[in-house]
Amino acid sequence: MSTYIRESALLTFRSLRAIPRVPERILDVTIQPIVFILLFRYVFGAAIREPHISYADYLVPGIIGQGLAFGLIGTGTATSHDMAEGVLDRFRSMPVRRLSIVTGQVLGQYCEQLLGLSVYVLLGLVVGWHPHFSGVGTGLECLGLVLLAMFAFTWAGTYFGMLVRSPDAMQGVGFIIIFPLSFLAGTFVSISQMDLIPRTIGDWDPISALVATVRKLSEHYPSSGSWLLDHAELSMLLWSLLLLAIFVPLALRRFNRTLAA
Amino acid sequence: MNFQNQDNSLIAIEAQGLTKLFGDVRAVDGLDLHVPAGTVFSLLGPNGSGKTTTVRMLATLLKPNAGTAKVNGFDVAHQGDKVRRSISLTGQFAALDPNLTARENLQLIGRLLGHGRAAATRKADELIERFDAVEFKDRLVKQLSGGQRRRIDLAAGLIDRPKLLVLDEPTTGLDPRSRQVVWATVRELVAEGITLLLTTQYLEEADALADRIVLIDHGREIAKGTPSELKALVGDQRVDVVAVDSQGFEQLKQELGWQGLELTLQPEQRRISVPAPDEVTDLNRVAQAVAATKIAVDEIALRRPTLDDAFITLTGHPAEEVTTEEEVAA
Repeated sequence: MSTYIRESALLTFRSLRAIPRVPERILDVTIQPIVFILLFRYVFGAAIREPHISYADYLVPGIIGQGLAFGLIGTGTATSHDMAEGVLDRFRSMPVRRLSIVTGQVLGQYCEQLLGLSVYVLLGLVVGWHPHFSGVGTGLECLGLVLLAMFAFTWAGTYFGMLVRSPDAMQGVGFIIIFPLSFLAGTFVSISQMDLIPRTIGDWDPISALVATVRKLSEHYPSSGSWLLDHAELSMLLWSLLLLAIFVPLALRRFNRTLAA
Repeated sequence: MNFQNQDNSLIAIEAQGLTKLFGDVRAVDGLDLHVPAGTVFSLLGPNGSGKTTTVRMLATLLKPNAGTAKVNGFDVAHQGDKVRRSISLTGQFAALDPNLTARENLQLIGRLLGHGRAAATRKADELIERFDAVEFKDRLVKQLSGGQRRRIDLAAGLIDRPKLLVLDEPTTGLDPRSRQVVWATVRELVAEGITLLLTTQYLEEADALADRIVLIDHGREIAKGTPSELKALVGDQRVDVVAVDSQGFEQLKQELGWQGLELTLQPEQRRISVPAPDEVTDLNRVAQAVAATKIAVDEIALRRPTLDDAFITLTGHPAEEVTTEEEVAA
């Protein structure tokens, strides 16, 4: 166990050292949320009316959900890149636990996501977001659920990154699947206003549960329309656990099988 | 198995019927290997012949579909961790973190092998010294040249002196000077008694470094022996005659054939090749024979045998460039 912690810590630290040396990687996880914050706060936002809430307060919880979803693509791309570099192969051919290697990979990515999240939450505050948590407990609950969801998304991204053939393929798949899901999640406009098909998808989208959770805890703004949205925090918790239950074993199994090119 | 009674520590690699399929492609097809400890063994073959796949199976990075292999006495299928503890693998592509410096890479690998911070740093600095890498030790790996990277990669494989060092095409893509540095280091390690498994596409490299060679193609063994045995099979030196055009090639082929010379033909290159065990004497003989035909030629030259000669002699066809099986499977 102590070997596992030691190896994982060394390998996590290895990933973190890349951050100041490859600053564009942080840009990768922050540029899209930043663009969308500015675009919707100052361009499209004027045309969107959500009752009983300022648009900045409506928007930032949506951006957090979308940011985490984009983070999944970023994690996948970075993992796919690392798999192609050959350095993971070196670790695999060494007497290092394979679980440690995957853990280092996931935690490194997780820290990068965390840094990204801080950047766009800060920008959200700057453009006028006023979180109204009813107490420290609610604030911590919100933070905890976001961090858990981010952990689940990072594992999913790691798995997809090992599955695809190239970083480009990951970008493509992410754009086709994650991008639309991140827009149907009540991110910028409420799901209940959408047409039947997007509304149905949005009602059950895990990103919707995430956005609804943050909006509810930070702004007392309820989302409704499906069981998932009516019980946002519980469904967010269940979604995260479900994703972890699926993607942790898949990623570990895949890593034991995968070849680097 | 028939080697159970032998002392395992004397045998570095023992493989029987090793087979790997990628879909329908038999990347490695029933390969037997026997490498005594303390020797240099070379897998020689063109791109896509199954060298890397074989190495990856021996290093426990790939599971064989059939066959068995023991490395340093440990079964690759069931004792992977012990195998990994006793070998070091350096691949064709530098397996280093591009965003760390050369020194940081060596430190990290040392620490992952269980050394403390001070010991890992000491070992890293020793190896940097040994591989003449002091001037670029603090540069990021992604900024190093191919030759510099390969040296650090080799160094990384030697942090804990392995029983078996596996070098997968250590000089492919390197400039001649870096190749010389790599060869010199490999010779030193061999002199220290390390067991080495070397894959290469160059007959010259296998000849320079290996005690024994197995020539493979399409995952199968084509020939094996010492470098001199293999070269004897191929013929020491050769005289090449290159015709001016394909018509000249056909005429030369007939005329020289009538003179009882043993010809190897490469029509695409209009090249006729004749074994020359007596070197300059044979060159003279062939040159006179060509002169007697009064057919113009582009070139008559004496040259050392290449992997292609070995292939043409042993299989009747040139070494083919095929898609590497790793790409097919990825």
